[in-house]
Amino acid sequence: MTSHEVTIAGYLVVLAGIVLLQVLATRTRIPVPSLGDLLTRAMRSRTGRVGVLVAWAWVGLHFFAR
Amino acid sequence: MRVSRAAPGPEDRQAQNRGTDNGGAATGCAEAVVPARPPGRARAALAGFRAPVVWVLLAIAYFTGISGKPVDGVLMLVVAAGLAWDTGRRALRHPESESAPTARPAGRAGGRRRLLMVSALLAAGVVYAAVVGSFSRYSWPATAGIIGLGAVVVLIGWHGPLRDRPDGGRLPVAGTLAWIAVLVAGCLWELGALLQQPSLTTDSYTHPTISTLTDPVLATGPGRSVVLLAWLALGWYLVER
Repeated sequence: MTSHEVTIAGYLVVLAGIVLLQVLATRTRIPVPSLGDLLTRAMRSRTGRVGVLVAWAWVGLHFFAR
Repeated sequence: MRVSRAAPGPEDRQAQNRGTDNGGAATGCAEAVVPARPPGRARAALAGFRAPVVWVLLAIAYFTGISGKPVDGVLMLVVAAGLAWDTGRRALRHPESESAPTARPAGRAGGRRRLLMVSALLAAGVVYAAVVGSFSRYSWPATAGIIGLGAVVVLIGWHGPLRDRPDGGRLPVAGTLAWIAVLVAGCLWELGALLQQPSLTTDSYTHPTISTLTDPVLATGPGRSVVLLAWLALGWYLVER
């Protein structure tokens, strides 16, 4: 495997982990919160709420803005 | 399922509105009559910098700035300073409470009116994605479009959720830690790829970052529009949380 492939495989493993946790949260009785629950919890305080929204805005800036 | 706050009566709503409609400027007589003494005021100002989010934003501002994106860096710096100031100001006025955002009073929009509103927002989102997606990446028109919408969404969210949502109770610790582990691993993997580039501003084929991997998609107008639509949908989802 080349370094390029290893790097991409790492991203895929993380993505698979996210999907797995979300499936566990929504399709089974295993006590795992869904990503939505996690975000709701993080956004309960004002600083958390602003932090999450700024992270969202930053993604747009990062990929499109100068 | 528990709810984070009891449904307020009319008087409570009025009281909430007095406290939130002006960004907390008119929060009742008691605060206006009893001003904080200077030491308390200084402590409150410093309280803003006790919020970890402020330091995370400052770190993002720094690293974004040195990565050749000064506009992003300045914007993050502005938000970090604004959040620290706002948190300190609220701590001064309500020293006993964490700054939980208050949901705005729900509008009485009927089903048909809400449907019209959602349809209009969807149409506006599609037009926005098509127009901004037609601009080249990193151009000034694209930058203005992203900054404008980002600022609007952050300002809307700053004042609290659009409507009350169920609390959901305590999150299971093990499951939450699993999420944190996966998300932190993703961030570290991305950071590792970034640091293995020839420089922070030079892409690497051997160690591609997510930005590098998405370049082919974002090189075309339709690709940019689709990604912008997804970004808009995520923003709307977050504002509704």
